[in-house]
Amino acid sequence: MLRRTALATSALLIGALLLTSCSGSDNAPGPNTTGEANPNATLTVGLSLEPSNLDIRHTSGAALEQALIDNVYQGLVTRDGDENNAIIPALATDWTISPDGLTYTFTLRQGVTFHDGSALTADDVVTSLQTAKDDATVQSSADLANVASISSPDASTVVLTLATPNIDFLFTLTGRAGLVFKKDDTTDFLTATNGTGPFTVSSWNTGQSLTLSRYDGYWGDKAGVAEVVLDYIPDRSAAVNAAVAGELDAALELDPELRSQVEGTGAFTIESGLTTDKATLAFNNQRAPLNDQRVREALRLAIDHDALIQTVITAQTLNGPIPPLDPGYEDLTGSVSYNPDRARELLAEAGAENLDLTLTIPNVYPNSIPTFLVSSFADVGVKLQVDQVDFSTWLTDVYTNHDYDLSFVRHVEARDFGNWANPSYYFGFDNAEVQNLYAQALATTDEQQSSDLLAEAARIVDDQDAADWLFLSTPLTAVGTDVANFPQNSLNVRLPLAGVTVSSE
Amino acid sequence: MIRYALTRLGLLVLGLAVASALIFLALRVLPGDVAQLVGGTQATPEQVEALRESLGLNVPLWQQYLGWIGGLFRGDLGTSLLTGTSVATELVDKAQVTVPLAAMSLTVALVVGIPLGILSALGRHRAGGTALSVAAQALAAVPVVWAGMMLVVVFAVWLGWLPPQGFPRAGWNDPGAAVRALILPALTIGVVEGAMLLRFVRSATLQAIGQDYVRTAAAKGLTRTRALLRHGLPNVGLSIITVLGVQIAGIIVGAVVIEQLFTLPGVGRMLVADVAARDLPKVQGELLALTGFVLVVGFVVDLVHRLIDPRQREAA
Repeated sequence: MLRRTALATSALLIGALLLTSCSGSDNAPGPNTTGEANPNATLTVGLSLEPSNLDIRHTSGAALEQALIDNVYQGLVTRDGDENNAIIPALATDWTISPDGLTYTFTLRQGVTFHDGSALTADDVVTSLQTAKDDATVQSSADLANVASISSPDASTVVLTLATPNIDFLFTLTGRAGLVFKKDDTTDFLTATNGTGPFTVSSWNTGQSLTLSRYDGYWGDKAGVAEVVLDYIPDRSAAVNAAVAGELDAALELDPELRSQVEGTGAFTIESGLTTDKATLAFNNQRAPLNDQRVREALRLAIDHDALIQTVITAQTLNGPIPPLDPGYEDLTGSVSYNPDRARELLAEAGAENLDLTLTIPNVYPNSIPTFLVSSFADVGVKLQVDQVDFSTWLTDVYTNHDYDLSFVRHVEARDFGNWANPSYYFGFDNAEVQNLYAQALATTDEQQSSDLLAEAARIVDDQDAADWLFLSTPLTAVGTDVANFPQNSLNVRLPLAGVTVSSE
Repeated sequence: MIRYALTRLGLLVLGLAVASALIFLALRVLPGDVAQLVGGTQATPEQVEALRESLGLNVPLWQQYLGWIGGLFRGDLGTSLLTGTSVATELVDKAQVTVPLAAMSLTVALVVGIPLGILSALGRHRAGGTALSVAAQALAAVPVVWAGMMLVVVFAVWLGWLPPQGFPRAGWNDPGAAVRALILPALTIGVVEGAMLLRFVRSATLQAIGQDYVRTAAAKGLTRTRALLRHGLPNVGLSIITVLGVQIAGIIVGAVVIEQLFTLPGVGRMLVADVAARDLPKVQGELLALTGFVLVVGFVVDLVHRLIDPRQREAA
């Protein structure tokens, strides 16, 4: 017993030394790039945020979309994150849009079956979309509010008619509201699934992992691996340890500080992908003193974005509300350049010296961001108090009740510019010109024109300093050297794994 | 004795009743609600209200409380708002990780604490004893999280002997892997709790050494050590039983933290996730079960103490 304790004690001491000097491991598996794809392989992916249940229709959260869309559930169309979120066919083989932009005619794919074996019918599609439109508790139900009718003239065609043109409509169908379920399904969707995708959910160990198995009756190319284990590891250093110990084939949202440990194994390559994850410092545009543009501009000028990005590491600059993967993106870099002197002047002009402001931030984000802001703002005479709350509190206080000065969250959704055209959104940004441009951008049927209109609206939002876009998140993914075709972009909201293969030695 | 046990049982029930009310009210003070989380950032206020209604959250508080207590009397701990599963079922499921973890931690704590505590007391004038005591002092002050990280760095990442995190997907169907997964977490809790126990055992032993009956036994020809072992330790043992009650509570708190760190799918991790999700019926069921467990341990400790300590029996 003495020896065991002595061992444990010395281990602790050695551990303390290692913490300052440790870099990698010497017993990790070597690179394996020569093997053939093994169809019986299991792909284990480490990720952080676990869904609270499996009911993707009624429960919000990016974790559900990440795990289930494209893998288990499908809609008529989907997006290809690695091709600028291009809209690609899924359960529809093709579609036509009438010149007036009101009628969408989809040709249904033949030979599609649900995981319970029953064949997909046009009726299933019509019922799914109709339910999503009519039932307000279905997530993103409002996306279909503009749909005037959903019908099926024959067994292989589904026609949707809109009340007014909406160029984003097809994109909307790639989201939750467009998912197709079996009509009158009796599956308990909280704990089980029944979709048409390349994988079925075979087991769910809550608090631990979700296991997907290849669906052999899949209509398209069968999945490249027999099984996918989504291993939920919320602690970022635990995730790195698991990767280093050889327990993972891939790890999302790698902690950049621990990158060298993972690289040191030689078993992973580190990739970086784009996202639509906009780290947004929201200003309460409705509340004094932030309803004064000079104050908002001063706060933006007080932030040295390049220095912040060096702190965050996995990020790039983003000025303006539209990220590069979305239509209407423009590189607005330089629109606000770090200038604390000008910030102090502006604050003095606005009569807002010695300001006291509160930043409400969910406690899931690292402390480095609020700490950086506190010192940046202190430098121009603004005292920032940081109020760290859990996400549920944030939803009530900031999102619902708009009771905040400054707020930080990451807006991960694609094409969410509409929030700036909605004065009742928590940003409280109310600008008639932006609303008008956004409405026009949706109503046109010309993609280039729509994109131009969005870019123009985005410039106004940026000029008005409606918020500050601290950075665009570009997370690191560790991908095993024996893994091929791992997706790259927007993995925080979509993780299509059907094409991924793992090679054996 | 029976009267004592019944009084003590009455206190246990009263304790549970008070705990249930406190847990229920304390959770209602938390801002935010599950309907908001289920609805997410796309839901309109009307949608959230509809969700709140369908989840039964707009019922007056006293009705919710009575409904919960009524369920308890029928042996129903409640139902999760998010998954619709029974709290009791999920507790039993997660206890398969937490109970073995606690048992292993307790074993480590006992193995570390008792013999070393006695050794440290006996050797208090020697370097080894002092070193042990100092080490225990230091270890007892170590945050469990840090100790866990160190153990992971050495035994999992560096030496590669044990898994750094997680629990086998097959659970106890793969007993070898399950035990291996629990070794580092159990060591983490056990060493820290054991260090606390060590300090307690040391001081209790030192006290016993100074007692007249030990000195008398030594005067009758026993060595000091044998006198202590024969006559002193049974008395030390009694107080250790009491301390163990407290330690079991400490181990459970430690488990909540350590399950997070090691990503173990146990009661602690479930509790943290449920609080974040504002699944209050589930949280209150889990908290009540944990409180009940700690209270029952206290109850048993008191009864055992009384059974084996003749002085207390006479006093009654």
